[in-house]
Order: sequence, then structure tokens, then C-alpha cells
Amino acid sequence: MSAEILPYLIIIPLFGAFSMPMVNLAGRKAREAWAVLISGATLAVGSWVFYWVYEKGTVLYTLGAKSPFGQANFPIRIVWEVDLFGALMVLMVTFVAFMAVIYSLGYMRHDTGLDKYYTLIIILELGMLGIAITGDLFNFYVFLEIMSIASYALVAFRNDTWEAIEAGIKYMFVGSVASSLILLGIALLYGEYGTLTMGYLALKLSQNPTIVGKVALALFISGLLFKSGASPVHMWLADAHPAAPSSISAMLSGLVIKIGGIYALARIAFSIYGASVSVKTVGWLIILFACITLIVGNAMAVIQTDMKRLLAYSSVGQIGYILLGIGIGLAAYGSQTGEIALAGAIYHTFNHALMKGLLFLIAGAVIHQLGTRDLNELSGLAKTMPKTTFAFLIGAAAIIGMPPLNGFASKWLIYESSALFNPVLGAIAIIGTAFCTAAYVRVLYTFFGRPSERVMEAKDPEKSMLWPMLILTIAIIVMGLFPWGISDKVMIPAAKALENQLAYVATLMGGG
Amino acid sequence: MNCVGDDMGVIVRTAARATIPLIGIFGSYIVAHGHLTPGGGFQGGATIAGAGILFLLAFGLDEMKKRYNKNLYSALEGIGGLAFLGAAMLGIGVAFFYNTLWHNGPFFSGKPGTLLSAGFLPIMNLAVGLKVFTGLVSAMAGLALYRRWRE
Repeated sequence: MSAEILPYLIIIPLFGAFSMPMVNLAGRKAREAWAVLISGATLAVGSWVFYWVYEKGTVLYTLGAKSPFGQANFPIRIVWEVDLFGALMVLMVTFVAFMAVIYSLGYMRHDTGLDKYYTLIIILELGMLGIAITGDLFNFYVFLEIMSIASYALVAFRNDTWEAIEAGIKYMFVGSVASSLILLGIALLYGEYGTLTMGYLALKLSQNPTIVGKVALALFISGLLFKSGASPVHMWLADAHPAAPSSISAMLSGLVIKIGGIYALARIAFSIYGASVSVKTVGWLIILFACITLIVGNAMAVIQTDMKRLLAYSSVGQIGYILLGIGIGLAAYGSQTGEIALAGAIYHTFNHALMKGLLFLIAGAVIHQLGTRDLNELSGLAKTMPKTTFAFLIGAAAIIGMPPLNGFASKWLIYESSALFNPVLGAIAIIGTAFCTAAYVRVLYTFFGRPSERVMEAKDPEKSMLWPMLILTIAIIVMGLFPWGISDKVMIPAAKALENQLAYVATLMGGG
Repeated sequence: MNCVGDDMGVIVRTAARATIPLIGIFGSYIVAHGHLTPGGGFQGGATIAGAGILFLLAFGLDEMKKRYNKNLYSALEGIGGLAFLGAAMLGIGVAFFYNTLWHNGPFFSGKPGTLLSAGFLPIMNLAVGLKVFTGLVSAMAGLALYRRWRE
């Protein structure tokens, strides 16, 4: 097994974060160069892992020994198991995190305490990568906590405003409740089955499905819906994401709620519980929450006057689409419709990371120039910040689902499968998009409106902020040029890999 | 007598002088025997940090400022983390976290139950202990330095 590259996904950011206090002694330039170098190296490793998994199939890595079996006859060691879905998430995390770090160079220049900022942003990336690659439930919990605690601290990073502190504390309380639910679920499963390895747990569960396992699943779903910001419990998201510095908002909205919520939910529902619960019931449960999330999130986005809050609510709405795809994928498990829905969900997860990352970076550039994010004061920005406005136009069009851009293909897959599965769901998805369109058209209308006096002295941001925005824009456009190619070559196989619980277990039990 | 400073008076200071070394020794014992007895790097480091916190409370912030260097403690915390990572990487040829010292030597490969056994575990305990001690002391010093209320 040649998965030797895999641990470097963790080693490199860990090394970067731990050595940051010492590098910091060499001054500001060294610190920034170090942060860019570390996240760039992580991106290189992440791309390599994705390429490897894409070419060679699921990778298994055992920590501390050659094989996951000790002297025992069952997998006893901690394993990392990366299928195509996980590898795609790794690519997404490393790419957007790299963009956010580059953007931070310009955006955070006037802040203090930046050694802690860069340490935390790398730790945040590390936590997300760990969740994406792990094949062990407790290991998953540890990385989830690393990610969550880093994001609590980063939300409250600008602690000179009470808004940030309030949002950070609120996020911490809600996040801790969610984490405790997940930990309780893990404890129940461990007590019942005596193992934490996901693949082996799946085997044990299918041999002997108990009520305790179902209670644990309920705890997982509730905790992870909290973490992903699904609708009845999305209140923390609308505070936390706008209050954070914009580079962090981009990572929170683009990555954290996906990895810590959607990815974990899909992994647990499919790879652990796939064969031992009624997927129809679980699927419909998720669909129910997805529909509420879809409508509430997008509708709330329409009435916001705060630009970042609008984007945060829009994230809630887009999470609704992804949950809808996963719910249908579960409820229609094994059918063509389910596969398309799942592929759409995975595709949209990736696309939304790029789009929402871009939109939050733009919001940050606007705040950096004008010091406000109130849409009523941003009228006519297109005149003085043309490049930024162009990027926003692309991002907004992509998130609405305009045909030549990447959002179209993923949303189309979700619409198509939901209409096939149940026309009512298709209608709900379309209504959500109508709200989403209204929200973004409003922002665009403001940007292209009559210039107010306030925006006249604004100009496009400096290079280190402009480049990440441009690269994300280009990525969106290029991905939009080959929608069905990407769908057939990457997203459908990723959905198949996620659905194929047997292969997941077999890779583990084969010993790697 | 000493009403101007922010220390806690002569009785507490004297008692602290006597107990701080003992707390430190006990914490070091817990760290060093982490692989043999209950406790380990985190618990021992937190115990040693208790000595630092007692110093801060008993002698006051002014005395603490003279002996506490933020950059040094940050760097030490980083070194603790790096030492942990380095110990985990010793056996990277086989796997991340492979305990090559225990399997192949040259040191920390004694009989199980003795102090010099368990491969990289003692090194990791020391590293975690260092990290927890410096981190907690820094956190307490930060709380004391940047409090936003006045008495």
C-alpha cells in the first residue's frame, strides 16, 4: 500500500502551527511567508492525495503499525480511510484554505496578534483535513473538536467589538452542545459494540442492529445538523459567520459547515449505518430538515440589509440543497435517482465552497475599503470597484445557478433527482432558488445603482486580496465549462464510493 | 503591612514559597511516570501550572511580570508541540506514530513497568507536559494582564 503521503496532510499543518510562535520571532514577513508556505505545501499534498485516490481507489492508512489488525483478529488500531468523496473534500479544503491564507496577508494587515491568527487558521485547516480522512469515530471526534475550537477562537478574533465576542460565545455554547451530542453517540456505540473503527462498526451493526445503535444515530444526526447549520438550529450561524474576519467567514461558510456537518453526516449515515437502519426513514428525516432549511435560509437572505449576514443566510439555504441531495440519496438508496441526488449533493458541496468562499472574500474587500457592510450605503460600487463587482457578479450568478457557471450543473442534478423522486420536493427546491435569486439580485442592483458619495473614494483592493478572488472566479468559470464531464468523471464516482459500504468495509478488513 | 502591591500578604507568600517547589516536584513526577501510573503529560503539566498560578496569585502581577517572558513561553509551547510531532514521526518509515524506539531501541526500550520503557511515550509525555504548563501559565498571565475591570 503506498499511502505514505497521507500522514503529511496532518504533519505539515501541525508542524506549521507549532513552529509559528518561533517563526513569529523573526518578524512579520517571515510569519506571512511561513503561513503561505505551509498552506501551499498542504495544497500540494492534498492535490496529490486526490490524484492518487482518483487513479488508484480507496486508500487505507494505519497509524502506528503496518496493518490495522494487532494481535487481535479485528481492526484494533486507528485507521485513516480515504475514498473519492473524502479525497474531494481534502482537495476542496486545501484549495479554499490556501486562498483564504493569501487573502489574509492583505486583509488582516492592520490587526494585531497575527501569530495567533495564522496558527489558528492552520489548525482549523488541520482539523478539517483530519475529519475528511479519518476512518475512526473517536479520531473523528478529536478532529471535530480541533476544528470547532479553532473556529470559536477565530470568530471572536477581533475582540475589540462586542459583536465578535457575543457571536463567539454563542457559537461556542451551541457548538459544545452539538459536540456533546456527538460524543454521547460515540460513547453509546463504543459501549454497545466495543469498537470505534468505522468500517468494523458497520460490520458489527449489520450483524446485530440494536436500539442503542439507533439512539446513537439520532444523536449523531442532531449534533451534525447543529454543526451544519440546518434550519431549526441555524441561529448561531447567522451571528458567527458575519462577525468573523472575512477570510475566516469564507472558511467557515465554505468549508467548516460542510466538513463538520454534511461530510460527517454522509459518512456516518452511509458508511456506518448504511446496511443496518431503514435508509428510507432516515432519508425522509433529513429531507424534512432540508426542506425547512432551504426555504428558511433563502427567505431570510432576502430581507437582510447586512451584506455578510445575507451571505450567511444564503449559506443556510445552500446547506438545505446539499441536505436534500443527501436525504434523497439515502431514501432512494440503490436507485439511479439516489445516485444522481448524491452526486448533486457532493458536486454542490464543492461548488458552494468555491462560490461562498469567493463571495465572502468580496464582502471582506468591500468592508476593507468602505468600513461598512450595510447594503444601503454600498450603492454604485460597480463604478469604483469594477473588478470586485465583476467577481461578485460571477459568484452570485453561480450560486443562483445560471447555466454557464458551475452552480448550474450541481443544482440541476439536485432538481432533476428531487423531481424524479417526489415532484413536491422539486417544487420546494425551485421556490428556494427563487428566494435566493431575489436576494442576490438585490445586492447586484445595489452595486450597479447610482453611486453614493461614500463609495466614490473606494478602489479595487490590493494584489494579495485581488488574486485569491480572481483565482476563485476563474475556477468557477472553468468548472462551469465542463459541467457534465466533471459530473461523470468525479462526482458520480464519488457518490458511488460513498454508497458502496461493502467496499468501504472490505478495504478495511482486507488489511491494506 | 504591604497594602500597595497586589500580592496576598506575608502569610500566603510564605506558604506559597514552601508549597510551590513541592507542587512542581509532584507535577514532574506525574509527567515522568505518565506511562506507568495514572496521569501523564496533560495532568502533570496542569499540576505544574498550578504552581505557576499559585505564584501569580500569592506574589501578584508585578512580581509575575518580572519573571514571565511571553516570547519565551510561546516558543517553549511550540517546542513542546514540535517534540511531540517529532516523536510521532520517528517511525515514519513504517507508519505515522509507529513506536520504533520501543521496538528497535536504542533507548526507552526496557522491560515494561520500568521507568525507561514504553518507547516514545515518555518523550511525548514530557513534550505535552511542557506544552500544557507553558500554555496554562500564559493563559493565566493573559487573564491577569488584560482584565477589563478595575477594583
